[in-house]
Amino acid sequence: MLNSSRWLVAAGVSVALLAGCGEKPAGETTANNSAKSDSTKQIRKQIRIVGSSTVYPFSSYAAEELGATTDFSTPVVESTGSGGGAKLFCEGTGKSTPDITNASRRMKSSEFATCVKNGITNITEAKIGYDGIVIAQSRSNGPLNLTRQQLLMATAEQVPVGGQLVPNPYTNWNQIDQSLPDREITIYGPPTSSGTRDAFEELVLESVSKKMPEYGKKYSTIRTDGKYIASGENDNLIVQKLDKNRNAVGIFGYSFLEENKQKVQAATIDGVTAVPANISSGSYPVSRSLWFYIKNDHIGKVPGITEYTKLFMSDEMIGEGGVLTEIGLIPLPVAERNERRATVANSAKLTAEMLAKH
Amino acid sequence: MDMTAEMTPERRAELDARVQRKLKKRYRAAKRFHFYCVGSLVLAISFLAFFFTDMISKGHSAFQQAHVQVDVDYAEKNLRFTKRAIAEDMHDIVSRGWLRDLRRVKKENPELVGTKAVAWALADDEVDQYLKGNKDLTGDDNTVEQKALAARIDALKADGKIKMKFNVGFFTNGDSKIPEMSGLWSAMVGSILVMVLTLLFSFPIGVMTAIYLEEFAPDNRLTQLIEININNLAAVPSILFGLLGLAIFINFFGVPRSSALAGGLTLGLMTLPVIIISTRAALRAVPDTIRQAAYGMGCTEWRTVRDHVLPLSMPGILTGTIIGIAQAMGETAPLLIIGMMAYIPEAPEGFLQAATVLPAQIFTWAGMPERAYVERTAAGILVLMSVLILMNASAVLLRKKFERRW
Amino acid sequence: MTTGQLLLLFAACLLLLAGTAYVIGRRRAEGIKAGGTFMNSQPGQYGQFAATWTAVPAIVAAFVGWVATLFGAEIISGKLIIAAAVAAAVVGLVWAVRQVDPELRARLGVERVITAALITASMVSILTTLGILLSIIFESIRFFGMVDFMHFVTGTEWNPDAAPEGSEELITKGFGSLPLFAGTFLITGIAMTVALPIGLLSAIYMSEYASPSVRSVSKPLLEILAGIPTVVYGFFAAITIAPIIVAVADKVGLQASYQAALAPGLVMGIMIIPFISSLSDDVINSVPESMRDGSLALGMTKSETIRHILIPAALPGIISATLLGVSRALGETMIVVMAAGLRPNLTWNPLEAVTTVTVRIVDALTGDQAFGTPETLAAFSLGLVLFVVTLILNIVSVSMVRRFKQQYA
Repeated sequence: MLNSSRWLVAAGVSVALLAGCGEKPAGETTANNSAKSDSTKQIRKQIRIVGSSTVYPFSSYAAEELGATTDFSTPVVESTGSGGGAKLFCEGTGKSTPDITNASRRMKSSEFATCVKNGITNITEAKIGYDGIVIAQSRSNGPLNLTRQQLLMATAEQVPVGGQLVPNPYTNWNQIDQSLPDREITIYGPPTSSGTRDAFEELVLESVSKKMPEYGKKYSTIRTDGKYIASGENDNLIVQKLDKNRNAVGIFGYSFLEENKQKVQAATIDGVTAVPANISSGSYPVSRSLWFYIKNDHIGKVPGITEYTKLFMSDEMIGEGGVLTEIGLIPLPVAERNERRATVANSAKLTAEMLAKH
Repeated sequence: MDMTAEMTPERRAELDARVQRKLKKRYRAAKRFHFYCVGSLVLAISFLAFFFTDMISKGHSAFQQAHVQVDVDYAEKNLRFTKRAIAEDMHDIVSRGWLRDLRRVKKENPELVGTKAVAWALADDEVDQYLKGNKDLTGDDNTVEQKALAARIDALKADGKIKMKFNVGFFTNGDSKIPEMSGLWSAMVGSILVMVLTLLFSFPIGVMTAIYLEEFAPDNRLTQLIEININNLAAVPSILFGLLGLAIFINFFGVPRSSALAGGLTLGLMTLPVIIISTRAALRAVPDTIRQAAYGMGCTEWRTVRDHVLPLSMPGILTGTIIGIAQAMGETAPLLIIGMMAYIPEAPEGFLQAATVLPAQIFTWAGMPERAYVERTAAGILVLMSVLILMNASAVLLRKKFERRW
Repeated sequence: MTTGQLLLLFAACLLLLAGTAYVIGRRRAEGIKAGGTFMNSQPGQYGQFAATWTAVPAIVAAFVGWVATLFGAEIISGKLIIAAAVAAAVVGLVWAVRQVDPELRARLGVERVITAALITASMVSILTTLGILLSIIFESIRFFGMVDFMHFVTGTEWNPDAAPEGSEELITKGFGSLPLFAGTFLITGIAMTVALPIGLLSAIYMSEYASPSVRSVSKPLLEILAGIPTVVYGFFAAITIAPIIVAVADKVGLQASYQAALAPGLVMGIMIIPFISSLSDDVINSVPESMRDGSLALGMTKSETIRHILIPAALPGIISATLLGVSRALGETMIVVMAAGLRPNLTWNPLEAVTTVTVRIVDALTGDQAFGTPETLAAFSLGLVLFVVTLILNIVSVSMVRRFKQQYA
């Protein structure tokens, strides 16, 4: 008798417990379902940004500014490289995928196609400015004037000699052209995984080689006989190296030159000096554009995306004299800047045609 | 026998001398060898001394930060474009970050709005580095503007308007792109969260595995496989755990990238073998008589372990666990792969939010071009090393205090 | 509701239910016992029995549901899983409590469940190894679908730029991994040249010469060297050691790179000293005292005893320690990422910059390349090679120690 009454009490307790535990889950189930249909439900507190290591400093600066001057959380910025960023960005529209990806080149059509395939069709493109690639040497040398063809001769694996492609025989600059100084060729440049190297290959090697009959097609292989030394990007040691070894030249981003102006100077390329005005006007031939891409599906679900992009595109950031130019960004010309800003403000949709035109 | 009998005193003396010479040589060799051994130990320890001296000399200055006295005009209109709030010749001396934060005055100290006051502002990193002697502004390489700036700084210092203060921000701020504003706060919080998860994950599983292997497992193929496997895991390069974390936890299980959870699970797997191996050693140290006594009293296998073996081996287990966690706390390579090497200035509020940890912060700062980050990197290292040494010392003390020799 | 809150809710419900089950089970058993019946187990054990049968079904149900969501069963929401798990728990509770009976061998039941839990925990380490293999093997297969295997193993040129793009054929150019391994072995070689003599001689000093007080101070000091995080060593190598090497080389008329293999090699050697010394210390200590005594009694000096008796006897252990050190050096990442170069370089000159396998892995996975290119996939193949090499080294090392232990056991 006693036992069975205890048993009854116990059963009652456990039923009550079940009700208590079960109730919440049941209520939550509906909440979760509605979250899927309701597009304004917040999925995350912080904006997540991935992508190019070149845009990373600018992007994180703008992110910090957003965190410090508004009530939004500071966005998380990860430097994954342009390609890695596009991969993460285009994985889908889920909450764990990034909201924005930075790129030191325009999005590739293939990357856009992946995005579309995974259901991300509403993307807005933003262009923030340029980064010039400079060929720098020690300040104690006289000025150096190079052409892109001479650069190709100094850096390519195979070069045309007498109408034939041969392994690069040049060891001194003046072997390439009498006008160049009699100095050994030693070039510190970015490694193969770097976007700066991609840009250098595209803007120097490929653009020159496709016009040279000996190559017949675009050629982009950099010599590996030790004259070209791959070094970490934005590596302070490169500057020390250039300072010590006056023969050496370095290839890096303009922003890095800006920081180390006391020690190194840039060579002119095709007669154009590497100054912001020439880079943003496009007359300096070795420069690349910097971009970021916004996943519009996440606007409203992650707070602050609109505010972040607006802040990033403002003159205070990317205009002449803006804080990002202090750390090396080269601003867009005024007209284009206004146009780009409008594109972002209107969340204009990126299409495959826009990328193909490029 | 005959030979000794025939030996003349001369010959004997000569032999003696030879033996003496040989002995001398052998003793010299023994001495030399002794010397090499001492030398090696001294060398190893002097590396350690050199390392710490180097880090302290590089990092100590980061615990002080230059502050400059400025007249601030908190007029309403100035709080939007905060550069106007201070005199123009102070613009390159006061930190840009400090100016930016002036905007918050309206919200945080509304009574200041519309008044004028003297404030100690954070100085720009160039000023700070110049005062600490880390950056030369007056040498031949410097521009005219830099030399002028140096002169103004010297003048302010002579007036007592620039002062070094304890760098509170280094412990209360998160990461920043403005060197003088950057601090360790978010990384410290991140480290704690990640370590809590690592512990929660690896401690129970590690101890259970060890108990199984030491107390329950039959000696069969499976047991041997598990044993070999654990030994191997302890030697697998840590970067491979990063690849595992990326493929399994992030891509397959959908754990958010860069989150404390992803880091904790990855590091937990890495710490597992350390905990298993030390727990097994601790269990093995408990003499069998204890177990037999328990069985004799009618305890089941599990009760024996739970009530007798485990409590007796706890000090050893905890020591091993602390050492394992300390190791995980300094680990960086796998976190590089799972996205914790990002710009994450805010301390995470939950296990699923993006987090960074102390060694990751050190790595990020080490790659920054500004001079001011070098001292911050070294100071970060000093903080991390103090925590690690503290943990290891407590492990040693624990062992000393509670270890029982049977 | 976030995943974290869901988990918390689940844990709370589970704890409550299991607690209830324990109390009910125990009470019921106490009730029966109070009636004077002889019980197979203690009342508490019946409680544990009930609690176990409440918790285990719930955990299993939750786990199954969660795995199902991973495989794309979208309809199952987190709350549904919890509801199902709680239901399973209640069913388990009711069943288990009804089972409470003097005949029930609750003790054995609990014992079995616990053993099962212990075995499950031990499986985690096997799963970890499997996980590592799985996470690198698929991408490696993809990589070897693009790049010729023999070329990868024997090629002497690592220059992904040189590889033809977009071609259907197997790539046989630009992915020769020898320069990467040469760099890795060069740095490892330098590290072992530093670590082996210093570590071994320190161990000999501490176990044979040093007074207990010296030993008790110097041993933990050496352990600190092992406790310094690798990222810290990396910073030290890049910022302090590399400039010193360049300056010294400059003084003697040599040219050293700022990323010279010597800097990370030396620092890695310092890091490995304590591994060698503590493992060697152990084996030297476990050489039987009688061998020392015998040697000394024959008139050998202490150093002769050590060199001719102790070291040969302890040799398997010392070799094993060395192999472990080598495997550690091969897989070390942060020091080389921060202090070694990025140029694949087939050289034996320690003053030149070289790159290593681990540097390539990190660089490929954090660089600007598009994912799915052979260059990023190469990271996984290199990881696979690294895994296999360290595995072999470790197995050899373990079997060496076993042989040593058998000899003197």
